[in-house]
Amino acid sequence: MSVVELKDVKKYYMLGQTRVDALRGVSLTIEKGEFLAIAGPSGSGKSTMLNMFGCIDLPSEGKVLIDGTEIDTLKDKELTRYRRTKIGFIFQSFNLIPVLNVYENIEFPLLLNRGLSKKDRESIVMKFVEEVGLSDRLKNKPNELSGGQRQRVAIARALVTNPLIILADEPTANLDSATGIKIVELMRTINEVEKTTFIFSTHDAHIMKQARRIVRVLDGRIVDAEAMEIGA
Amino acid sequence: MLTLKIALRTLMRRKGRAILIGVLVGFGTFLIVFGTTFTASTSETSRASIIDNFTGDLIVYSDKSKELPSPFAFQTPLPPVQNLQKVGELLDSLPEIQAYVPYSQNYAIIQVEREGKKIDLPFIFYAVEPEPYREIFTNASMEEGSFFGVGLAEKTPADSAGVVISRYQHEQYIKNYGVSLVTGEPVTVLGVTEGGVNTVAARLVGIFEPELYKNVFDYINFIDAATYSQLYNFTGVESLPDSFNAGLEAALISEDALFELALDEDFGKLDVSTLKSEAVSGYTMIAVKLTDHEALDRVVAELREKGGSLGIKVATWKEASGFYATISSALQAFIVLATALIFLVVTLIFTNTLIINVVERTAEIGTMRALGTDKSFIRGLFLTETLILNIAASLVAMLISLGIMLALSKNGIPLPDTVSQFLVGGGRLPLQIRFTPFVQALVVVVVVSVLATLYPVKVATSITPLKAMSDK
Repeated sequence: MSVVELKDVKKYYMLGQTRVDALRGVSLTIEKGEFLAIAGPSGSGKSTMLNMFGCIDLPSEGKVLIDGTEIDTLKDKELTRYRRTKIGFIFQSFNLIPVLNVYENIEFPLLLNRGLSKKDRESIVMKFVEEVGLSDRLKNKPNELSGGQRQRVAIARALVTNPLIILADEPTANLDSATGIKIVELMRTINEVEKTTFIFSTHDAHIMKQARRIVRVLDGRIVDAEAMEIGA
Repeated sequence: MLTLKIALRTLMRRKGRAILIGVLVGFGTFLIVFGTTFTASTSETSRASIIDNFTGDLIVYSDKSKELPSPFAFQTPLPPVQNLQKVGELLDSLPEIQAYVPYSQNYAIIQVEREGKKIDLPFIFYAVEPEPYREIFTNASMEEGSFFGVGLAEKTPADSAGVVISRYQHEQYIKNYGVSLVTGEPVTVLGVTEGGVNTVAARLVGIFEPELYKNVFDYINFIDAATYSQLYNFTGVESLPDSFNAGLEAALISEDALFELALDEDFGKLDVSTLKSEAVSGYTMIAVKLTDHEALDRVVAELREKGGSLGIKVATWKEASGFYATISSALQAFIVLATALIFLVVTLIFTNTLIINVVERTAEIGTMRALGTDKSFIRGLFLTETLILNIAASLVAMLISLGIMLALSKNGIPLPDTVSQFLVGGGRLPLQIRFTPFVQALVVVVVVSVLATLYPVKVATSITPLKAMSDK
């Protein structure tokens, strides 16, 4: 069952009179439960692809289907709701809310999805806090955490709403290599346990090795995808 | 609750900036509260001062007058008010009228004799009925003598008639003419009439010091009604014999009666020496004081309606006070304008700071949007932050303002004498602390907060989740 489908997607921007092609006709299908890396050098178009998976950018041409819905037919409010319920984000710079502590940052997406009692929220948050190993850091603010700890908070935050897909844009770029590997291992463990689809971009070879499938992108085109099936 | 939590913590996290904005908003609040209180106090005190010293609540004057009545117009006296008795009856019939006093202003010369020489002294005056004048106007504080015997337990004729001069006027007589006057001293008053120069013997009854509007009352003196009437021949006959009155009434009915009257032997035998004289109106204005200042419009309308047939017109204190009310209004307008300008500057600085705040928080806002917050959440967040900060700063400023105003209200606000003279007649401005300016300030702060947040919020809600993704 595919959760993401790109059909001949093109994305271009106008820089003054010059057209910049970020994606030049990309077709890709991602199945539920995949642990997929999008690899490529800077400017290759991998972030643009992730933005489309995350319903935060729309294609100039072609179709992007998330969970069977063509995203460019959705209005801004519907896209927002779609992101809230179906997608989890892990950012390169962690992007935690600075005034909230660990517990509150992880709880934040649950507060946006009304209907859960405080008790329910607490049990969900605590489950993922334990999963990412931050039980002793609940009251800490982001500026009191290390880079790796912050990214763990971000992973827990992405997971709490039980999303269809978790997108991670170069999640290890701001971490040292050892911490980066640990973070990707954590993501992969969660993928195996929770069956959550993980799509992450990277150009780090060590990180790439952890992926079950690698989609290589260059100059806005997929240059290597299906052939790069990698065993665990 | 989430919005409130984030808003409060963001403010605490950015204390420095919050304090800076809070100080600006607090300063604006202080200006509104203090400025409005000051303006309202000035307006109220100015009105009360003008009413209590010059005009009363309104002035009745002759409909033959082409000019508005002015207590300061000594060069061109207005035509006298006719039908004074009937006008008095009309004023007596209105329950809103507390008291009224006919008066007039003119100029004359008082002549004194020193070492066999007659010395002429210039003399600008109000001619007044002393008792009702003092009932309405209490500005003259007597330094010597009395105000034509008003308030004296035992009053002699010498106390009741003559002239009362200001202390400053007396000093000018000493300085410029070498003449020092003593209370009770005989003086001759010389007045120019259509028939030539009239004189009347009088006395200096008292010397006063004005309590307010020294720049006006230092130059104004007083003459009592009886002396004034004699000086300008405003004298009539108190009563005529009954036969004469009957004849006159008959004469008004027909011409035949008039001719019959001429043939009546008794009619020609009227003995003038037996007639009693009576002062008639030489008054150009009647100052009227009301029991309730709020009844002004109603009384003016009623007097205008009923007074038309009596040959009178009505001017409110504001119309009659001329440039004093204008200058007072202009100064108040200046204060309001200055306050508004400062608040405008505060608003601009505040908007600018908020925009910087939005720009600095682009990644945070983008993250929230990526996580699925609606634009309304972002809008609410910024509005909540702004309102919490501004209302808190405003409330603190109100407390400070209240403290300052309470301290100042004990003795009044000291003002430069020139400003004070025009605003309230001189001296300190009594501060009247009211609730309204505080409510006004709070409303203004809330409105300004919302307005100042509109553009920054527009900028904030236009931030897309892409910004969060591109924040490397």
